[in-house]
Amino acid sequence: MKYLLLIYKNVGRNLLRSLLMVMGTMVLVLVVTLVWSVLAFIDKVTEEKSKDFKAIVSERWSAPSRMPYDYARVLAEGAARKDHPEDIHPDDSMTWQFFVGTLDRENMNFRNTMFGLACDPDKLLTMMMGLEKENLAGQQRREFETAVEKLKQTRNGIIIGHDHLKNLNAIIGNTRDTTLRDPIGRKFKLSGISTFTGLDLEFEIVGVFPPGRYDNFTAFNREYYQAAMDAYPGEHGGRQHPQAERNLSLVWLKMPDRASYNRIVEQINASSYLRNPEVKIEMASSAFGRFLEPFRDLLAGMRWLLAPACIVTLALVLANAISISVRERRTELAVMKVLGFRPLQIVLLVLGESVLMGLVAGLVSAGVTYAVINWGFGGVKFPIAFFDAFLIPINALYWGASVGAGAALVGSLFPAWFACQVKPAEVFAKVG
Amino acid sequence: MSHPASAIVRVEHVHKYFRRGNERVDVLQDLTLEVPDGQFLGLMGPSGSGKTTLLNLIAGIDTPSEGDVWVQEERISAMSEGRLAHWRTKHVGFIFQFYHLLPVLSAYENVELPLLLLGLSAAQRRQQVSTALELVGLSDRVRHRPGQLSGGQQQRVGIARAIVTDPALIVADEPTGDLDAKSAEEILDLMVELRGALKKTILMVTHDPRAARRADRVLHLEKGQLVEQAAMV
Repeated sequence: MKYLLLIYKNVGRNLLRSLLMVMGTMVLVLVVTLVWSVLAFIDKVTEEKSKDFKAIVSERWSAPSRMPYDYARVLAEGAARKDHPEDIHPDDSMTWQFFVGTLDRENMNFRNTMFGLACDPDKLLTMMMGLEKENLAGQQRREFETAVEKLKQTRNGIIIGHDHLKNLNAIIGNTRDTTLRDPIGRKFKLSGISTFTGLDLEFEIVGVFPPGRYDNFTAFNREYYQAAMDAYPGEHGGRQHPQAERNLSLVWLKMPDRASYNRIVEQINASSYLRNPEVKIEMASSAFGRFLEPFRDLLAGMRWLLAPACIVTLALVLANAISISVRERRTELAVMKVLGFRPLQIVLLVLGESVLMGLVAGLVSAGVTYAVINWGFGGVKFPIAFFDAFLIPINALYWGASVGAGAALVGSLFPAWFACQVKPAEVFAKVG
Repeated sequence: MSHPASAIVRVEHVHKYFRRGNERVDVLQDLTLEVPDGQFLGLMGPSGSGKTTLLNLIAGIDTPSEGDVWVQEERISAMSEGRLAHWRTKHVGFIFQFYHLLPVLSAYENVELPLLLLGLSAAQRRQQVSTALELVGLSDRVRHRPGQLSGGQQQRVGIARAIVTDPALIVADEPTGDLDAKSAEEILDLMVELRGALKKTILMVTHDPRAARRADRVLHLEKGQLVEQAAMV
């Protein structure tokens, strides 16, 4: 205990240097935390799971995928046949129908364009990554459940992401207020663009997505979308909307294990109903991996160059600072040896000081990063593939502490060895 | 070879030399010495005569090139570094010219430092530190850091640190060398008092004849050899 106190007191010996070391460590741990947060999320979504498999069904030969809406009913059952009791059903499913519209058709730009997802509102709580019970808890969970409930009750309701809401505030509300103060009930109209031209949908905001991954996302009730499709011919001389026949983009299926997944793949591939157009089913991890393929080099650079370079730099910075400290305290270390401190105890003293600073700095850096990035900025804005923002995982606290302490440990090994080699007879040599 | 039973330190035919490039520098040459238990021994001599080297050998912070050093019937010249470190904590107290207190620790903590290596309980440590600080007259300065103490007070803390483990032998390398005359006298008074009260054997290197006069016996070194012995009492 007293030994730890000695370590602690030595840290405070030169406050300016200790402070600079801590700040340097914090900055580099910040960079590593940000990089690893992005990589950890990507690793997570591309990692093949051992349970709770998610699979994506899409059109086999066309991109973007466009399947008949009727497919939803069959796929939700995993294409299980009624007269085949051995066929199995997915645990859960979710249909995705994409819609892209603009707030201002005359002056269309990225800011006034929104990407929307028509779906079954209940599925937002069970099938959307990051919004499930295990990933969204507390007040945010309760607020989101309320929003979903309102979405079910409000025919033209919409749940909107933070960035879209900020744009709405600026464009429609003519305000730079981005605090999202009471947006519920605000109405706006989106005019379909591209293949959705002709579909003008009026929405009423019923809730906001939790900050982070869904900042540039909106979700609304698929029944409203289908109703708009149905109403289209009445306003356009009896002509159906080009998307009317095939407006189902994706179907997500959830299965308990790989065996179930394999079985459902067989069922879907064998289904005669799902022939025109043909569909393909793939693991969510594989699909994400395919989306991320163009970013492979960037991600490899982040993983194998940027993060290691930060850690090595951190170790060198700490090694330099600790070396200076050891050189300055050579006489003091010699005195400690004279008093009976053994080389190993001297090594532990030097390593202890360095590791203590690295540990604290890393932990504080990761904690501040977690709070500021997640609560202040809604995640790391790093648009890649279809991911928009990456939240800092709670594991970052462990990463920060480990990176800080680990780099400090490595960086102080040589200075510690130098310290334990101090020879009192040489230090006090006056040859008198 | 027979030795007086009361000799606490025996230095037998010790050579100490250093290498400076290809040149061999002899610091001590065939030096033999015995120090009786409880004696206050002064070591004098010109710079380069080997006083501090001899002190370091007897204190176990250096090893002889040839010959043996015995302290309390233990042949310390043959001990490993680790064993020597433990031996020093228990058997030798050091008083340095420049005090060499740890600046980040209070007077109390500086004195307590060697005790941390002996596995004593907190209560035992507290008692021994308090006693040592009381003996040197610094009970009212326990929470002060070295920077808040005068030179004389710092040296008193250094002395308390040297005696706190109750060692048989105290070595002092010019303990008054950095002090004004008044403080130096006080420190020497204290050392004489401690020698009398605690029955410690004290080896003191000094350039100062006034300091040497406080010793029971003074040895002069010149070019690594004892050239004169003077009984001061």
